[in-house]
Amino acid sequence: MSDLAIDIRHVVKRFEEHVAVRDLSLEVPRGSVYGLLGPNGAGKTTTIRMILDVIAPDSGTISIFGVPHDSPGILNKVGYLPEERGLYKKMQVRRVLLFLAELKGVGVRDASKRIDEWLERFSLNTPEKNWGDAKVDELSRGMQQKVQFIATLLHDPDLVILDEPFSGLDPINAQALKDAVVELKRRGKTVIFSTHVMDNAEKMCDSVCIIARGVKVLDGAVAAVRQQHGGRNVALSLANGALNGVGAILRDPSLVNKLDENNRFFEIELAPDADPQSLLRRLIDVGASIERFELVQPSLHQIFIQRVGASGVETGMSGHG
Amino acid sequence: MDNKIWVVAKREYLERVRSRWFIAMTLLVPALMAGAFLFPIWMAARGSVSNQLGHIRILDATGTGLGERIAKAMYADSTLGITAGDSLAPRVEVVTPTQLPAKEQAAIAEVQLRDHIAGVLSLTDSSIAGQSARYAGRNASNISDMDKLRTIVRQSAMMVRLEHEGVRPEIVNDLARSNMRLNTDRVTETGKSGSGTAGLFVGIIVGVLLFMSIIFHGQNILRGVLEEKATRVAEVVLSSVKPESLLAGKVLGVGAVGLTQQAAWLGIATYLTNFLAPIVMKNIAAKGGAAAAANAAAASPIAGALGGISLTVIGIALAYFLVGFVFYACLYAAAGSMVNSEQEAQQAATPVMFLLISTWLMVNPVLVNPTSRLAVVLSWLPWSSPIIMPMRIGLTSVSPLEVAGSLVVAIIGCVAAVWLSARIYRVGMLMYGKKPTFAEVAKWIRYA
Repeated sequence: MSDLAIDIRHVVKRFEEHVAVRDLSLEVPRGSVYGLLGPNGAGKTTTIRMILDVIAPDSGTISIFGVPHDSPGILNKVGYLPEERGLYKKMQVRRVLLFLAELKGVGVRDASKRIDEWLERFSLNTPEKNWGDAKVDELSRGMQQKVQFIATLLHDPDLVILDEPFSGLDPINAQALKDAVVELKRRGKTVIFSTHVMDNAEKMCDSVCIIARGVKVLDGAVAAVRQQHGGRNVALSLANGALNGVGAILRDPSLVNKLDENNRFFEIELAPDADPQSLLRRLIDVGASIERFELVQPSLHQIFIQRVGASGVETGMSGHG
Repeated sequence: MDNKIWVVAKREYLERVRSRWFIAMTLLVPALMAGAFLFPIWMAARGSVSNQLGHIRILDATGTGLGERIAKAMYADSTLGITAGDSLAPRVEVVTPTQLPAKEQAAIAEVQLRDHIAGVLSLTDSSIAGQSARYAGRNASNISDMDKLRTIVRQSAMMVRLEHEGVRPEIVNDLARSNMRLNTDRVTETGKSGSGTAGLFVGIIVGVLLFMSIIFHGQNILRGVLEEKATRVAEVVLSSVKPESLLAGKVLGVGAVGLTQQAAWLGIATYLTNFLAPIVMKNIAAKGGAAAAANAAAASPIAGALGGISLTVIGIALAYFLVGFVFYACLYAAAGSMVNSEQEAQQAATPVMFLLISTWLMVNPVLVNPTSRLAVVLSWLPWSSPIIMPMRIGLTSVSPLEVAGSLVVAIIGCVAAVWLSARIYRVGMLMYGKKPTFAEVAKWIRYA
């Protein structure tokens, strides 16, 4: 068995007016939590759909657990939560789940047992009401999301792909989802999720890939990525804010390349040839009262802004990238 | 084959069969059909000869005893329900031709005044000649009454003439009692098969059932596909099953629903005609007019039609249903996958509806002349043959070679429709936004 859960090589997908994914290669280690990051329209959903063989790449190859993704039965090991969620509205919850489990090759009896367990676990089967017997459209939005999540995991997949899983979740459900991802990893499963919220990715992912305009910008383990981009960032706190000549110094292009200003806290990316010591000296010279001056590794958010920039969002594309 | 097709088909089948709509349609249609068959019989029995016909006055100016013979014939006819000693029985008055106009006037005045006389029948020499008689009465607009009266007068006039010409009275009486019934048999190249009217009704029933099933379940598929697309459930499903398998499962499942429904319709209709009809008949008979009811029932097409459906015809109709259903179901599914709303769906389905409706418009010409060039051409075209060919087989004799040939053409058309639809469906299911133009759809077909 391969050590890679996913191995994408030189994949290209063109749509009528634009290229959604150009020559994308990436490797997702087995048992890792992997973040597919990028602005809206970057090609995340297209990439995920190609992994799932929902749409075919124009060229390139995709393997799941070492075998081509269109091999019979391999997709039975994959669970998928699409960004646009939906279930058969007029169908009983239990029957929808049974149907989706059967499509993944789970036997009827086995599936029924698992459905009971999951309904119990997500408190959809309470003494007052068993929501499993209700029709989907009788459920609240939150409950429907739970059902959809159950459907993703019901067949106990080894690879779970979540497309923008946090969109539309309230804080409680978002936390439940994070817990679920952690538990999946503990059980040796591979989790891939796409997001444009870097904060989540930074906390949860072992590895990430940032794509923009269908092109891979960078990828690798989160720690390694941050290290690569480290040492050029300064975290600065001032007691009085940017008074006196401080503002002018922070806007000096020979010292500062990029500035993230939050009144009293500044995240600074140094200019290519700038020395952090000369920056510190000049700040002291103008009498700034410094509370913190620290060379730091940049956050994923910083890296993202630095590498992708505001121009990373291709115009005219919807959120189905 | 992909066992996921069966999982999809099972869902489609169970969810539809469980729906209230399906149950209502399955029970209501045969009830309506049985009603449509029984109602005319009931009407025929009810609307048959009224009990007024016996209560007439006959003015006989022929001097040949024609009036007496008519009265006798009326007594003899059980459908008129005249009993001996009935005060309202037909009364005959022999008059001279010169008296007739005045007597007639008086009698008509009496009809106007008094309920118990329904009308006045005036007989002249011309009646004996078999040319004309005159009737004036309240029931003159009752077609059954007038038919009956005309028959009785004509037969009686004939009897009188025969007696005049010296034919023995026993023979004349014997002729008067004879009741000729015409039994029809349809002759085809392979021999005698079924009755003529039965064939016509088999043809109509098969055609109507196929057309209705295709339209009803085709629309069902259209809505189902649209729902999967609109609720975005398609994306989850398509991550587990290939679009071709999803399409195939859907068509199979809904097709099985159609077959189940037809089997239920046939079963219920057979039950209703075989068990319920006799009860209705008995009721009608109990209210009098038993013979009329029996006559109406015998003349009714159902008895013959059901007897006229052979296993071969059922087999061929089934084959055409399957081919035709798959053909149209795939096109409906493709139409549903192209669009995002019910409104757009009806637009996208217009070409499919056009094929169906244009076929339907040809049903009548084919019924009238099932051997015409038009009928032959239509039974070869893959989109019309599933409806037209089974009808033609019911109506006339079609050579087995022609049936086989047209089936092969229909199957080729069906495969082409499946191929085309699968490509449109594959791309369409994940396309949201504006309705695609035909040029775009053509591109999908090329690149899918």
